[in-house]
Amino acid sequence: MSATTTSESLTPRAPAPVRAAAPTPQRGPRPGRILLIASLAIAACYFLLPVYWLIIAATKTTAKVYGSSGLWFDSPQLLHNLGQVLTYDDGIYLHWVLNSLLYAGVGGLLATLLAAAAGFALAKYRFRGREAAFKAVLAGVLLPHTALALPLYLLFNKMGLTNTYWAILIPSLVSPFGVYLCRIFAESAVDDTLLEAARVDGAHEGRIFFGLVLRIMSPALVTVFLFQFVGIWNNYFLPLVMLSDDRKYPITLGLTTWQAAQDRLPELVQYTIGGAFLSVIPLAVAMLVLQRYWRTGLTEGSVKG
Amino acid sequence: MPDRRSVLAWGAAAAAAPALTACGESAGAARLTRQTKRKRGQKVNLVFWTWVPLQKTVALWNRTHPDIHVDLQIVPGATNGGYQKMHASLKAGSPPDLAQIEYHTLPEFMLVNGLTNLSEHGADKLKDEYVDWQWKQCVFGGRLHAIPQASGPMANFYRKDLFERWDVEVPRTWDEFRKAAIKIKKRGGGSRITAFPPTNAMWYASFPWQRGARWIRTEGDTWIVDFNSKLSLEVADFWDGLLQDELITVQPDLQSGWYRSAQTGHFASWLGAQWGDALLRGNAPDTKGDWRVAPLPQWEEGQNASANWGGSCTAILQGSRHPEEALEFAHWLNTDSKSIDLLVAAGYGWPGARIDLEKSALGKRDPFFGNQRYNEVFEESDGQIDTSWKWAPTNTQSFDHIKDAFGRAAAGRGTLVDALNDVQGRVLDDLAAKGLKARSA
Repeated sequence: MSATTTSESLTPRAPAPVRAAAPTPQRGPRPGRILLIASLAIAACYFLLPVYWLIIAATKTTAKVYGSSGLWFDSPQLLHNLGQVLTYDDGIYLHWVLNSLLYAGVGGLLATLLAAAAGFALAKYRFRGREAAFKAVLAGVLLPHTALALPLYLLFNKMGLTNTYWAILIPSLVSPFGVYLCRIFAESAVDDTLLEAARVDGAHEGRIFFGLVLRIMSPALVTVFLFQFVGIWNNYFLPLVMLSDDRKYPITLGLTTWQAAQDRLPELVQYTIGGAFLSVIPLAVAMLVLQRYWRTGLTEGSVKG
Repeated sequence: MPDRRSVLAWGAAAAAAPALTACGESAGAARLTRQTKRKRGQKVNLVFWTWVPLQKTVALWNRTHPDIHVDLQIVPGATNGGYQKMHASLKAGSPPDLAQIEYHTLPEFMLVNGLTNLSEHGADKLKDEYVDWQWKQCVFGGRLHAIPQASGPMANFYRKDLFERWDVEVPRTWDEFRKAAIKIKKRGGGSRITAFPPTNAMWYASFPWQRGARWIRTEGDTWIVDFNSKLSLEVADFWDGLLQDELITVQPDLQSGWYRSAQTGHFASWLGAQWGDALLRGNAPDTKGDWRVAPLPQWEEGQNASANWGGSCTAILQGSRHPEEALEFAHWLNTDSKSIDLLVAAGYGWPGARIDLEKSALGKRDPFFGNQRYNEVFEESDGQIDTSWKWAPTNTQSFDHIKDAFGRAAAGRGTLVDALNDVQGRVLDDLAAKGLKARSA
């Protein structure tokens, strides 16, 4: 996905400097530009090929997945396959989808809000220990989530929260990277004089944050939300240790249980592929809808910084 | 600490008790006190973790046993984190009552004191209802620690059409196997007699097992490691010969390329386990009618030694509050004829219970295997499996070592014999690292 967004956002901008630097009559595009486009095209292929394979494979029977070329259709039956995916084991797949949406959607939104508040405070308020707090957050960026899953499990187990929705939602609320990004963005994008003016007009800090700052920071927030959403959506290890009731699983974990039983029930190969196919659709939609904000946001930040 | 001692009294693990406490790995023991007796009419809830799709079986139990409700929770498979999850839950002190554990992983759970001693709950009297060698896989220190569920007796799945087309006899001995391999290489137009999966240590282990080699034994409190015994190396040398003369192809099994090969006849036979029937049927449906099943080739003519690949049991984890009810369920799950038929439909493998093949769903003729009553071969095979094969409590690492070393050998760097010599030393190190006494045979 990331390859497409970068190639799309780079290509329209690239011509400007090229033309400015070379006002002399042109004999076709410059070699550098060809190289650039070629390498981007290769990168795009590299990232899109697995998606393409997934789309093709989702239309096949289990036997055809192995027995025919992975790059072209062979007696496609997409709707039949998807019907099977959605109805197998009393439609458990739909549970997984809803769970994933809940974990990633709610977790992503709240994490973004928290990151925005923390980032803004770290950027604009002077208080004791500010830098220490920020450094601690930075250290959090470096810690892999996987390393934290087991200690978290032992902790949550003491509180009796394992195998509940909270076990996934609470750890998902924290995004050190989001705090970092929000601080950098707030420093450059939120003008001190603007805040002064708002205070002079009598707005209290809460109102300034919710009414003004959030709106100015929205491009950064979209980025944080997307990262967090994708991160939670793809998270495997945390739900693996926390959850044991398969009705509470997110898609990632649920599909693995199908994969595990493939040795026994070969038709599950097809259901797993179909399930994986369906599961990338929400991510693709989120990317396509939100990338508009994302693109403008990142450039804004870079210009002002 | 009488409980801990009796639990660990099997084999060498007794020596490990201090070491285990030191690293805080001992699970469950302290929580034995939590067990509660069920009062009359009280409803008990049991949690059961498995990756086998047992929904229908458990639903049947819950319908017929209103007092003991089983909450089936499908967890990711063994190597996808299922065991990691079980170990974490043992560590946290809130394990499920019942768990699916493979035979070769049981010793690892014994090592962390994670299994309930079922002999204490009167399980010994059930012995006659189970296949002997599978029962023994669950016995440690003379006490039963899990209920056998299923196994994978080995046999030879072969393509009758291809063997006939190339005029090759189905091999009865390993000697004939090699001769057949040479013929197929000559006549088969690129096909080979079989594929060698260097990544599958568990599959490979069945061959030294059949030969009578023992990779792991215990003597008092010491583990005897014997990967490079004479018999074990004889088997490795045989496969080395096939590999060097390119009489077999090298291909990781049970994944896309291998299934394609099964469809196209790139290999003409597969030395596989009973549960492999569903894999061939489901993944190569167009070869219907072409397959037959024959016994494993033998080292000496007239013998009928066999071996096993895979299989698992229903364990009752240490910390369950209702071990007696859990035992009742586990026994029903694995012996009730209706339950077994549902398990067979879920493709769980060869039953751990003694069954009457004639009356079971397994006794049917199968058009996929040309109407052969192919499970008769597996029934025979299951009866010939040596009962004394054991796994090390560091078996996950052992398998990884074999995979690495075989991978190198299959890529042409060294031989399988070298590989096993290498693995021998590494397994000794693994055991020593766990604080266990170990030595070479």
